[in-house]
Amino acid sequence: MTLPAAIDKSTWDRSLPRWWVAAAVVRRDYLITRSYRLPFVLDAFYGLLELAVYFFISRTLRGAVSADLGGAPNYFAFAAIGIAVSVVVAAAASGLARQLREEQLTGTLEVLVAHPLTTAETCLGLAGFPLLFAVGRAFVYLNVAAVWMDLDLSRISWPGLILILVVTGTSLSILGILSGAIVLVLKRGEILAGMLLVAMTVLCGSVFPISSLPGWLEPFGKVLPLRFAFDGVRAALFRGEGWETDFFVLLGFSVFGLAVAIAIFDRALRVSRRTGSLGQY
Amino acid sequence: MSLDPCEPLLRVEDLSRNFGVHQVLVNVDLVLGRGDRVAICGPNGAGKTTILRCIAGTLAPTNGRIDVCGYPAGSIQSRRLTGISFSQERSFYLRLSGRDNLLFFAQLRGLKRRQAIEQVRAIEQELELQEILRQRVDRCSTGMVQQLALARALLDSPALLLLDEPTRSLDDHATARLWAALESRSTSGLLISTHRADDVARCHRQIHLGS
Repeated sequence: MTLPAAIDKSTWDRSLPRWWVAAAVVRRDYLITRSYRLPFVLDAFYGLLELAVYFFISRTLRGAVSADLGGAPNYFAFAAIGIAVSVVVAAAASGLARQLREEQLTGTLEVLVAHPLTTAETCLGLAGFPLLFAVGRAFVYLNVAAVWMDLDLSRISWPGLILILVVTGTSLSILGILSGAIVLVLKRGEILAGMLLVAMTVLCGSVFPISSLPGWLEPFGKVLPLRFAFDGVRAALFRGEGWETDFFVLLGFSVFGLAVAIAIFDRALRVSRRTGSLGQY
Repeated sequence: MSLDPCEPLLRVEDLSRNFGVHQVLVNVDLVLGRGDRVAICGPNGAGKTTILRCIAGTLAPTNGRIDVCGYPAGSIQSRRLTGISFSQERSFYLRLSGRDNLLFFAQLRGLKRRQAIEQVRAIEQELELQEILRQRVDRCSTGMVQQLALARALLDSPALLLLDEPTRSLDDHATARLWAALESRSTSGLLISTHRADDVARCHRQIHLGS
């Protein structure tokens, strides 16, 4: 089917996103999240609970773990990084799709799209708050683990940790934007993103080393972007060096992948306009 | 954005829209100039909201062409030039106050926060929205939300206003404020869908769909 002349030109404005427009979407999401006070607190508490579980598992298995822990001094230190990074990864990979689905269900998606914000601003804005909130949570978890659970941060490279977390967020946002595109067209695409995310975290050594995987699965785990995130964060935290390669690999994923993902999202928006499904859920 | 004064504000040519096999709009033509006020009338299901959604760019025509000041409907330029007020019940963030909602939508139009605050304050005065802007939207009545929707449409003084039954649920005072606000924007084009004869009487002409 060919598009009629009225919408034949892409609605994708290729100019650089205006930060204050994306920031307005981020601020809106913050205000909405804050308005649900108890879930806001429980959400943060959930991660601490998970941290405690691995703390006690680690004490139980003290001395029993022989796999390569990527420089981590013990299994708890290894798993704590996995948990902290997984929080960022989950937000990056599914935050946008979840926000978009909520817009569909509350009926605000059509009015949002009718306003003059570009596709890139829409994506950045919708992905922004979940990602920033997750990075904040990751820092809180690491500090709690350091203060109360003997996580040794004496060799940490703070610039390395921040840079790795930022590129982890942006590179995994590719998956988030793609699942957002699926949500636009099929409505329930976040399930697919969730499946991919679980598969990736299992394969990439979040809470157990890649060397523990069956031999035929190891190569998959080694090339997925998430593996570079875990390796980079552990290098920045436990060695204070050696994170640079992981950073540049993730940066490469981000630069190339984000442009492609935003173009696909723009395409999904046009399909929704054609099918008239922007106001549906 | 500079506009060509010779270009009509809105040009709709041969517009058709189908939903499956159901033809809602068939070969609609319409030209709207600066200051024109046009009422779209017709029974339920005649396509009044559909034509507004096509012009706003949230629904693509099956056939035909729509330009807003020469820009294709749905393009970022045409969306910048258009203020909309659609079905109100589900188009605001209910957990936020009226003011936070308006500030958000003003910033989506590209205004910096300080400019957005000034714009919202001016519209608050003009439409007497002080009480509505203070409250969370989920605590507002349908008529209050309807007034908020008009305020949103007027943000950033768009050249073209698309209003879907804007006087539904409004009391007489609010209706008077609405028309005073619209009439004071004498260079904006207005396309309004309505069932009310007094709304139609305030427009320069009407088109009847579904006849």
